[in-house]
Amino acid sequence: MTISTPSAATSSNRSFLRCHVFSTDHKVIGRAYFFLSLAAVLVGAWLSLLMRIHLVWPKATLLLLGEIKPENYLAQLTMHGTLMVFFVLSTVPQSGFGTFFLPLQLGASNMAFPRLTAAGFWTALLSFCVLMAAFFVPGGPSGAGWTQYPPLSALASAGPGQALGTDLWLASIGLFCLSSLMSAVGFVATTIHHRAPGMAWLRMPLTCWSWFVTSLLILLAFGILLAAVVLLMLDRHAGTSFFIPGGLLVSGKAIAHSGGSPLMWQHLFWFFGHPEVYIAILPAMGVTSHLLSVFARKPVFGYKAMVGATLAIGALGFMVWGHHMFVSGMNPYAGFAFSTLTTAIAVPSAIKTFNWVATLYGGRIRYVTPLLFSAGFVSLFITGGLTGPILAQPALDTYLHDTYFVVAHFHLIMAMAGVFAIFSATYFWFPKMFGRMMNETSGRWHFWITLFGAYATFMPMHLLGIAGHPRRYSELSGVQYVTAMAPLQKFITVAVIVTLAGQVIFLVNLFWSMFKGRKAEANPWECTTLEWTLKSPAPAEGFGDQRPQVNHGPYEYNISGAEKDFVMQDAPAS
Amino acid sequence: MPIISDRVEVERKPKLGGGGPGKIPHRRGFGGGDDGDHGNSGDFRSREQRMRRYRVGMTLCIISVTAVFVLLTMVYVFRMGKGRFDEDAHRWVRDWIPLTLPYVQLWTNSLILLLSSLTLELARRSMAKKEEFAAMGIVPPRLGRDLPWLGITVFLGFCFLVGQVLVWNILRSQGAFLASNPSRSLFYILTGTHAVHLVGGLVVLLYAVAGRLLAIKFESQRIAVEVTGWYWHYLAFLWFGIFALVHFARG
Repeated sequence: MTISTPSAATSSNRSFLRCHVFSTDHKVIGRAYFFLSLAAVLVGAWLSLLMRIHLVWPKATLLLLGEIKPENYLAQLTMHGTLMVFFVLSTVPQSGFGTFFLPLQLGASNMAFPRLTAAGFWTALLSFCVLMAAFFVPGGPSGAGWTQYPPLSALASAGPGQALGTDLWLASIGLFCLSSLMSAVGFVATTIHHRAPGMAWLRMPLTCWSWFVTSLLILLAFGILLAAVVLLMLDRHAGTSFFIPGGLLVSGKAIAHSGGSPLMWQHLFWFFGHPEVYIAILPAMGVTSHLLSVFARKPVFGYKAMVGATLAIGALGFMVWGHHMFVSGMNPYAGFAFSTLTTAIAVPSAIKTFNWVATLYGGRIRYVTPLLFSAGFVSLFITGGLTGPILAQPALDTYLHDTYFVVAHFHLIMAMAGVFAIFSATYFWFPKMFGRMMNETSGRWHFWITLFGAYATFMPMHLLGIAGHPRRYSELSGVQYVTAMAPLQKFITVAVIVTLAGQVIFLVNLFWSMFKGRKAEANPWECTTLEWTLKSPAPAEGFGDQRPQVNHGPYEYNISGAEKDFVMQDAPAS
Repeated sequence: MPIISDRVEVERKPKLGGGGPGKIPHRRGFGGGDDGDHGNSGDFRSREQRMRRYRVGMTLCIISVTAVFVLLTMVYVFRMGKGRFDEDAHRWVRDWIPLTLPYVQLWTNSLILLLSSLTLELARRSMAKKEEFAAMGIVPPRLGRDLPWLGITVFLGFCFLVGQVLVWNILRSQGAFLASNPSRSLFYILTGTHAVHLVGGLVVLLYAVAGRLLAIKFESQRIAVEVTGWYWHYLAFLWFGIFALVHFARG
């Protein structure tokens, strides 16, 4: 699984398993998270391909799968969302790159609680296995969507995947909550406690800031989800009625539950769910800020404003959950408050976007793959972000909520932007993680195909949404105004196939470079932060006894008077 | 024999800082090692750092647990006010049936928990005194009227849990089951979640009590007691919060 060769000193007296598998070394755990997410993204992407093909060629029977029934489509939809949101977007930027690089960037030799961090990974792996098991049980995976709205998710008789499949889903997400909490405790304690001498709070790279704020969000949000999942489990198995209303008939049979509120689940879920959006995107923003500065060879424009905006987004993230529920029949005054607060998030987001563009402006830009993907992030973040204020208006959202417009919005701003940041981080940190460089030419091919593919896939969905094409349906043949949009749907499916084919370039590049890539020197990108003071790949003993002394800020590029165009953070104070 | 003593020297070194690869002795009290249990004696600064690290971690856990209980309280209040829609009468009917609480048992349990909080505090203080000896490598002597406070705390913790089970039994004998009414469900869930968290604290305390048997260093024992102390007092506080909620918001 892991590739690096640890130095002889540490490997001589430790078994292979202890070094590479049951290790408490943050680098081994970070890499393991990376591969876990890679497995999850492959399954998730495969499911999206199945769904897209089914949408435009419903009669096509794909290899070994047979006919896709509506409930299968819903199960695929649910698993695609769950895998991508939990196991990709909130796992690899935070737990993957964060576990690997937070201690290195802070000048620490490990996380604050290495065993806890390791336990977090193993719980996440178990959670992933439990989720995958749902594919192999009778009835298949849950079909209630990644949001698991009751009563569909609360009643085992409501559908084929609603029995064991949903139990597995809930168990898996419960475990994932525990895993995230364990990991987040380590992150916050490391940041507070393990900074090298001289690493003041405002000398931390912006990546560390965003990992820190994200961990705080995890601490508050995932506990809530865990409690909500337990309540839903009790509704399903212990006969309580928190989320199940009275008077329900399922397949002609009356349900014994009464008095519960499905709306309460929506409140609980989205109170977690909206911070979750920022849990996914804040680390991506941090990586982007970091990389734009590195490759524009300029200090980040407005470092303190960036830190403030990160904190503001984190805080506002807890006050806006209601904007996912405008169509639930909530009090219009509540809708107004949520709408106003949601629009307020545009302010810190705009500060960040302005600063990214200003960082690039006038820089001596080095057009390498990590920069391209970071610039792609900014582009997708703006495109996806512009539809945010539209959906924040209850009046507009009422029309657009159940259409492809929302699909386009969250895929551009959360999924595609997040994935672009993951790609840029992979290309950027690959030498430190695996000791070799990734291939530049195929990196560029990968970038352009993915960029055009992402836009070709999701831009037309805005039009579908405005024209009223509802989401979540497996097949709408016979509905005339929807049939008229079939050519656009076909175009999207073709775009998806091309985009996913483009990812093969990435996979080949990844694994080829791991073994055959050009050997990387210690600091191939000429960065200033502490992880680049170590040789590549980062040695098992980290900084060893040579604890770095930090004398400089994280983004000292092109400082007048310096001999090179960058000043390492641990360079002697001038 | 000099050769043997050399070999011993060499073997001892990598042990500093404890298990796992890439474990760095925490010489200057940063990062390093999981919890550096096997080695690293006497370095005062690094001991303090370790204690601080665990305190930060415990604070974060407490924040997270608080979030869970705030949520459960919100569910309680919301569910109490909500009812079901009666189709025939065409109006909302509240379905919340107030619970008759077994106050005698509940107050006994509260007292036990409060007492255990006190004994744990005494255990913590006595360990803090002994630490000076341990730091110097002396087996801590038995101080004055020093009772096995830690063992008493664990005992009282178990008593509290047994008491909670008795409370649940009394309720069940009254016909109040988890699924009978939301007031029952939420009482069981609140007290049950609290009990689960208390069990977590008990496990750590048992680890500290069994310190001698498991050959755990005094320092680790002390950190376990210190940090669990915070947690334990917090859980006692939380218990009174829950008690107040189910008493004052009976519906």
